[in-house]
This record gives sequence, C-alpha cells and structure tokens, in this order.
Amino acid sequence: MMGISEKEFAMLARLARLEFDGERKQEFMSEFEEIINFANAVNNAVAGDTESIKDTGGDNVMFEELREDTVKESLPNEKITSGVTPVNGYFTVKRVVK
Amino acid sequence: MKSVIGELSALLKSRKISSVELTKKYISEIEKKNGNLNAYVHLTFDEALKNAENADKLIKEGKGTPLTGIPMTLKDNICTDGILTTCCSKILEGHRPCYDATVWKRLKQCGAVLLGKTNMDEFAMGSASETSCYGAPKNPVDVMRVAGGSSGGGAAAVKAGLAAYALGSDTGGSVRQPAAFCGTVGFKPTYGAISRYGLIAYASSFDQIGILSAGVEDAAEIYNAVCGADEYDMTCCPRNMPEIKPEVDVKGLKIGIAEEFYKGLDSEIRAAVDRAVAVYEKAGAEIMLVKLPSLEYVLPVYYILACAEASSNLGRYDGIRYGSRAENYSGVDEMITITRSQGFGKEVQKRIMLGTYVLSGGYSDAYYKKARVLREHIKAEFNSVFGLCDVLLAPTVPQTAFPLGYSGGNPIETYLSDICTVPANIAGLPAVSVPCGVDGKGLPIGLQIIGDRFNESAVLSAALFAEKSGICDIDGGVL
Repeated sequence: MMGISEKEFAMLARLARLEFDGERKQEFMSEFEEIINFANAVNNAVAGDTESIKDTGGDNVMFEELREDTVKESLPNEKITSGVTPVNGYFTVKRVVK
Repeated sequence: MKSVIGELSALLKSRKISSVELTKKYISEIEKKNGNLNAYVHLTFDEALKNAENADKLIKEGKGTPLTGIPMTLKDNICTDGILTTCCSKILEGHRPCYDATVWKRLKQCGAVLLGKTNMDEFAMGSASETSCYGAPKNPVDVMRVAGGSSGGGAAAVKAGLAAYALGSDTGGSVRQPAAFCGTVGFKPTYGAISRYGLIAYASSFDQIGILSAGVEDAAEIYNAVCGADEYDMTCCPRNMPEIKPEVDVKGLKIGIAEEFYKGLDSEIRAAVDRAVAVYEKAGAEIMLVKLPSLEYVLPVYYILACAEASSNLGRYDGIRYGSRAENYSGVDEMITITRSQGFGKEVQKRIMLGTYVLSGGYSDAYYKKARVLREHIKAEFNSVFGLCDVLLAPTVPQTAFPLGYSGGNPIETYLSDICTVPANIAGLPAVSVPCGVDGKGLPIGLQIIGDRFNESAVLSAALFAEKSGICDIDGGVL
C-alpha cells in the first residue's frame, strides 16, 4: 500500500488551495490513499524511471489551428457586466484585502 | 425507438402544430414530471416561447431546417448568453455567461427552442449525477435508480419526453453511460469534430460535446447541425465535416470484438450484447476477434490524466472572477482557500487533490508522465485494430442503472463502471450507445459501437441497423 503522510497531505491541500479538517480530513486521506493505489497500476505497466521515456504528446489534439490575429470589436461593457451590479460600467468586487 | 425529430418536424412543416403549441406541450410535461425526476435545474420557458415564435416565422417563410421549432435542452456546463450556467456547483451559483457556446449558437441559427438546462454531476465529475449541488436526477424507467452521469439530467429528460433531444458532454462516458441507463441513444463524436468553445472545461484533452436523442437518425441530424470548424476552438477540426447520412445495410461491415471489454460483465448484459452480435452476423456483417491488451490500464490512465487537467482547469475558481465568494476571511489566500473549500463538492475536491498530487514534483514522473506514455500505447492499439475492422461492438456499461445513493460508497467501485466508455475518450474515437434490451428488472442495457477517428458514418450506420433490426426494443423520448 502506498501511504500518504499528514504532512504531505497538508502540502497538497495548500497547493490545491483547499482545506480539510478533523473527520473530513481523515475520510479524505483514507479515500485518497485508495485512489493513489489504484492509479499506481501505471507503474506496473511502465517499469523503471521515466528519464529515458520520450514524451510523445499523449493527448488527442490533432489540430492546432491558430486564427489570424485581427482586431475585432469587443463586447460592450454593459454586456460584460450584465450578470453583476456594475458601478460606472466597471465590475465591482467585494474588498479582498481588509 | 423512432425519429422524434423527424416526426415533429413533419408536423411543424405541414402546420398541423405550431412550434409555440409544441413548446407549450413540453412545458406542461416538464411542470408535471420534473418535480419527481429533477432532470432540469434551470428552466427557460420565456426564452423557449420566444424561440418558438421565431421558429414559427421561419417555417412560415419556408426557411426552416429539420431542427427548427423543436424543443430541446442543454447540459448545465454549456454556456448560454444571459442564462444560468452553473455546472451544478455551488461555486458557480448565479453565473450567467455573456456569450453562447458555439453549439448553442449553431442550434439557435437553426431555430432550436431551449427549454432549460439539465442536471449533471458537479463539473461533470461522476457516474450517477449524484454529485450535483441540486440533488440527483432520477431514472424515468425506475425512479429509485440513478439516471447515470454525468449528463444524467439530459438522458432523463429525453427518455421521459421532457425534451426532443439534449446536448451533453462526454469526458469519460458521460453521454453514453446515462443513455445506456435510461434507454436512449447517446453519441460521442470524434474529439475535434464538434467545437468545445463555451463548454466549461473539466479535462480538455478528453472533453467532447455529445448528443442524447430518442433515435439514431435524430443524433445524425443534430450532429450535422453542430459539427465542423470553429475559429474559437483551435483543437476543432479546421475543415467542414461531410454530412452524415447513416445507412442501414451492414453487409460486409467488419465488426471487431475485443474480449477485454467483457471482463467482469454482468451475465445478462453479456447475453444481450452476444444476441446483438448474432443479429449483425446474420445480416451479413463479418465478425472478428481482436485484441486490445492495454485496456487493462485505461482507468488509471484516465483518472491520472483527467484529474491532472481538472486541477489546472479548476484553478480559475478563486472567488474573484466567477461565482460565489466566502463571507469570512482575513486575507486573499484565506479567501481563495475558504471559497474553494466551501464552493466545491467532495468529488471535485478529491479529483483536484489527485490531479495536484500527480503533477507535483517527485510524482509527475511516476504517474503523469507514465500515464501519457500509456495513452499513446492505447491509441496505437486502437489504430492497429481499425486497420482490421470498421467498428467495435462492446457493452456500454458493465451493469445496469445503480440504485440511488450508490456513488456515495467506495470510489474505486464507482470508477470501475467507466471501464467500457473511457477507452473512446482516451483515443478520441467516435462512439455511440444504443439500447439492446433490458435485464430481469426491466432496466435498459446499452450496446456500444466504437469507430475510427472521423468515421462517424460507420458508427451511426451500425447504430441505425441496431435500431431498424429490432435490437433496440425500447421506446423512448416520445411525448
């Protein structure tokens, strides 16, 4: 069984910008460990270190069509702010830094 | 099964019914049944009646298409200008995009009528739509069971006659699996065949918009309307796609059977798929056994890569630019952390954590990089197989619809139910699920047909044969 320490879990949570405490943390850690063990099957399939493995892309992107970089009229402010309560035509957000 | 769109379109064209009248009928059905089924999470009846009035004008002027005036629905992760699009997540509560997804823009141009947005797993992460912040949709065949996921609301709506068709998204089987559970058609085209512009991202190299409909010809009609080049999606095929007209003749069609799809299969499902294979063979199709040994690794590969992409895609939800924000915090970092912890549900948090883990220093080589290598192996195996045969026949799901509450159990067991659908997403292949009978409890069984990239024609033709030959013996989607 691959294990994950509390310290490691806390570091991951920080990177993911999530927080877990008490019972929820224990439940998460236990399920997380199970999922990592499940994912570990890839190590049985591709043995050894990956230094020598050439990354061949490994995704489905067959096309990467870029369009001409032309200047176009952007959406009007009224449209962009239609889902919020604008002030003087701008987004207003709650104060983040207090 | 039959073509609901064909039937309704004929009625509209002959003016036996107007689109406004038809839309009102669907609205009345939704008002009667949605309280129980929970298929729709946002209703857009005013918009629908306006769309219907415009459609009636187009039909009167002789400018209609087969989709003009037909009431339909979109999954809650497809952006609609000014209409709630929340991915069934608390973090996107109240979110109204200021633009339309390309698929909706194209359907609007055809005169489609949008009845509302349908229920789904939060950010499309799940197999039963039970991770939705609005609660799970129920299966119209048996309301004590799930409608599947993540496009469960769309499948339930089509099956119950609450929409003529639905658009969903399929990242690991999210259109085909609910179609199999509810007894409808679920079609996932080739990656890149339909623009993803305006589809809220989960795992960008797997995500594909798909179609839920009552019949195969309906699916082809919708596909023809929405597929093709889009300057706003660089991964979309840059050429216009040929129109698909599925044909019912399967004589000489080479059908591959890969035993790897049949491991751990419920015996009733195995028997139903075997019966279907025999019908194809009797009609002149050539059946051959093929090998796909790398399928053993599809689930770990999928969950590693999809979660890695999800952890990056969902990084944008920070309480500043979208949706809801935590009330109590003491600084920016804390605000972001609390917002995300309160806004995302458990399954989404789990997948973000797994994605963060497999991308983090020290583990990306062991997991992420190896998964990418294996993905190439899997794609190469499919390439070899499609050098031998035209399509593969397989079950869509190893079991029929789960009882409600199932996905709250062991996460691995839930992930294992994706075993037959995930391969097509890993390799970007077109695949369709059509009904092929019911089990002893009367629950629908799905038959999956997988084809080579951009061979939608072979996939839908084989599916149409299933429909016309009586393999699909379930009615659905008829108002």
